[in-house]
Parts: sequence; C-alpha cells; structure tokens
Amino acid sequence: MKDCWFPVGAADDIPSAPGRETLLMGEPIRLFRKAGQIQACDAEGRDLPVTVAYDHVWTSLGTPSQPIFAIPEAEEPGRRFVPCGHVRVACSPLRAVENFLDIAHFPFVHTDILGAEPHTEVYRYEVKIREEEDEVWATKVRFYQPQAAKAAEGGQEIEYMYRVPLPTASVLYKTCPSKPEAWDVIAIFVQPLTETTCVAWPWMALYDDTSSQADLVGFQQMIFLQDRAILENQVPALLPLDPGKEIPTRADMTSIAYRRWLKSHDYTYGAQLEAQ
Amino acid sequence: MTDTPRTPSQGTPPQWTPVALSRDLAPATAIPVIAEGTELALWRGRSGRLAAWHDRCPHRGMRLSQGFVRDDMLSCLYHGWRYDLEGQCRKIPAHPELEPNKAICVPAWSVTEATGIIWVSETGSGAPPDTGALAPLRSLTVERSEDALRDHLGDGVVIEFDGLHLLLQGLPQGRCVLHALTGPGLDAAGQRAASHRLEALRTRFEDSEDIA
Ligand code: FES
Ligand SMILES: [Fe+2]
Repeated sequence: MKDCWFPVGAADDIPSAPGRETLLMGEPIRLFRKAGQIQACDAEGRDLPVTVAYDHVWTSLGTPSQPIFAIPEAEEPGRRFVPCGHVRVACSPLRAVENFLDIAHFPFVHTDILGAEPHTEVYRYEVKIREEEDEVWATKVRFYQPQAAKAAEGGQEIEYMYRVPLPTASVLYKTCPSKPEAWDVIAIFVQPLTETTCVAWPWMALYDDTSSQADLVGFQQMIFLQDRAILENQVPALLPLDPGKEIPTRADMTSIAYRRWLKSHDYTYGAQLEAQ
Repeated sequence: MTDTPRTPSQGTPPQWTPVALSRDLAPATAIPVIAEGTELALWRGRSGRLAAWHDRCPHRGMRLSQGFVRDDMLSCLYHGWRYDLEGQCRKIPAHPELEPNKAICVPAWSVTEATGIIWVSETGSGAPPDTGALAPLRSLTVERSEDALRDHLGDGVVIEFDGLHLLLQGLPQGRCVLHALTGPGLDAAGQRAASHRLEALRTRFEDSEDIA
C-alpha cells in the first residue's frame, strides 16, 4: 500500500519552502513550493514523488508504479471544479472510503437531503472488479433523494456509479439535476494520517452555473460532517477485512467488493485482520 | 463438580454494576454506559422497559447507544436496522420486504431496575443489592479509579460517607462514577445540601494526594 498515491493537501495551499508539515501513514512529511514547483520530502529530507491532480497534491512513501488515475469526465468542457476543503475524522481511512460507497445510510444520516423515510430501499445493482484498470466499480445504483444536490428542486430518483481506483480514493457519478444526459462527478480523496485518523478532501466537477462556490462547498461540508458523526462511532475503529466480523446484506455489495479488493492487494493500513 | 458461589472475599468482580439512576434515563432514550470494562448501550423503550447490549451494531459496528428509540425498538443511527428489546433484528430498511435472519442479534446483558437504580450484570445470576428506602440523589464522575476510592472509602456495596450513601461504578482510565443516595424524606433544601456535599467530596478526592 506504501507504493500507492495519497492526497496530502490542496494544491493552492502549499506555502513556499520550508513549507508545512503533515502526516502520511504515521510518517511526518513536508510539503513546500520551490521554483514554482510543489515538492515533498520525508523526515530525513529524502524527496518523495509528487503529482498534482484534481486540485490536490498527491505523494507516496514508496514508488508508485502508475500515474494517478484518470477522471475523463473532468476534462469535459463546461464543468466547474469545486475543491471542498477538508474534514479531519478520527477513523480509519478505509472506513471513510467505505462510508462514501454506501447509500443505505442516506435516509438516516443525511435525512431529508440525500434520503428520507419511507424511501429506504436499496435496489439491486451491479458490482465488479474491472481487471484491466484494477478498480472496484458499482453501477446501476438507484436511490430516491429529496434534495440530491444544491441545484436540485424537489425529490427524484437518482442514479449513481461508484469507482475505487486507489485504496483511499473514490469517485462517484450521479445524475445531474440540471443536465439529465450528463453525470455530476463527486470524489473523496482520503489522506491516511494514521490507521485511525484521516483527512477527507471532497472534490467535485459539476455542471452548475447557478450555485455560488461557497454554497457548493457548504453543502458538501454539511454532508461530510454528518458522516463524521457516524465514522467516529464505529467499533472497532479499524475496518474488519475478514468476513464474519460484521454482517452485510445485498445493499452492501460495494463494500464487500471493496474489502475483498483491499485484502487481495494487501492494502491493510487501517484494516483489521483475523489474527488481531 | 459443584458450583462454588462467588463471594467478594475471593476478589471476584461484583455480579451487578449500578450504571444509572432511573430518573436519568427517560422513556425512548439510549445512553452509553460502561460495566466491568465493557461498553454497553443502555436504553429504555416507550413502555418503560429496559435493555443493555454490547454497544456495537452487528451490521457495520456503529455504536447502538447513538441510536434512536421508537416504541419498544431501538434503531441504529447508521442504516436504521431495528432491534426489539431482546436484541433481535426485526427490520432492515434497505430491504423492506425481507424478514431479517434470526442470527442477527445483539449480545445482551441482564438489566434490572430497583428503587430508582438501574443495575446490569453479564451473567444475570442473583439479584442486585437492596438499597431499601434510600432515595437516589444524583450521579457524578470522579477522576479517580474505583480501586483508589475503595482504599479510602471501604469495600461495601453501599458505602456510607459524609451523610451520603454511595454506589461505585468503576470506569476505565482511572475514573469512577459515584451514584449518591440519601436517607428517605429529604426536602428540597436537604437535597441541595446533600448535592453540594457530593461535589465537595469529588473535589476532595481529586485534590487528595492519598487517592491517586
Ligand atoms: S451499522 Fe447499524 S444499521 Fe448499519
Ligand atoms: Fe454519507
């Protein structure tokens, strides 16, 4: 997992050298701007790989074998990019991603916004690991939402797709209220500070020319603060990877696939295995 | 083999732990409590009946003490799985038509309410101590361990001290809840005075170098 890319900061918020310190997987690292370039180094001053993508800085304690994943939709003209600040959460970075993949909680955690009783049913959807890209994908996810987005008026059934390209990053596509033929793109980039603390950096690429940036960020922040109240109260804090510790149902197919995928790659930072 | 009765002199933990005063748990509410180092969700249904469970939803581990009560069912805050007073899962809102599997059940402790005090026990054997006509006053947490306090106060179940009758509930990390009771028939002024004595007691314990 060390060789994966991880988000560590907002690209427009990196001071010039000596820069600022943060944590990545328990290790102190430093981010700074030098000669117009964003750079990163570890506690010994060793250079770390850096890439800037989707308004965020990504680095790794190891050697990433691939460039950062692509979000082709983000290239489409007319989209607005909305980095949504950050939310620090006392939970496993893997639990934070799993929560992002979950829709069954909408009526209870994001009541009257992303869901509302009695519309609690999670219909059958499709999940698979795309071997070529090595990503988890869930498609044909449908859910009734009272206010699907800032620009939405009234309730509607929304369709979603989810993908997990990295152990601590996920991108979702959802029906766009103002442009039915397009998808809104919402991502969560999670920085693992330790196995039980993380920073979530939500990011969006939307077709929305009416809402103000502040309103869009405020909407996403509100949603993530509601999720934080859950994430900081899950027991154990580490994500159990072995079946039998927790009881999933059909609605949890994405979470089941995500856990299997993590385990098959040995992506276990923030996870709990049988022996423990 | 015969069963040897557990007695306090053998150093075994108490069978029943006081975890709250009845008046501090209204109908249709849930709270987190700790007994013998175990985190429990203690809740009361609308009918007044009580339950104490492991504070962890079997689905995705959410603390059940954060859940909400409707009628005599506790719903988990995360995905709304609904459990009856026996701990049996009755409803999974993501699958409204589905009858939940009988195996989905939260491990429960025994819980009993007597003379205004709520007691829990893992085994449920025997009955909680009888506090007779003593009247519950209030509960208060002290930043001192149960052991340290007992060294100072003595070892009984109901400890008489400074005109108060105290039940001790040990917490992890060197903390302890004092559930204070008074003699019967105190008027409002008497209760206020007793409450102040309890607060003074806490200050004294926390300031004392002898109780560490
Ligand atoms: S964690 Fe309790 S219902 Fe999902
Ligand atoms: Fe959420």
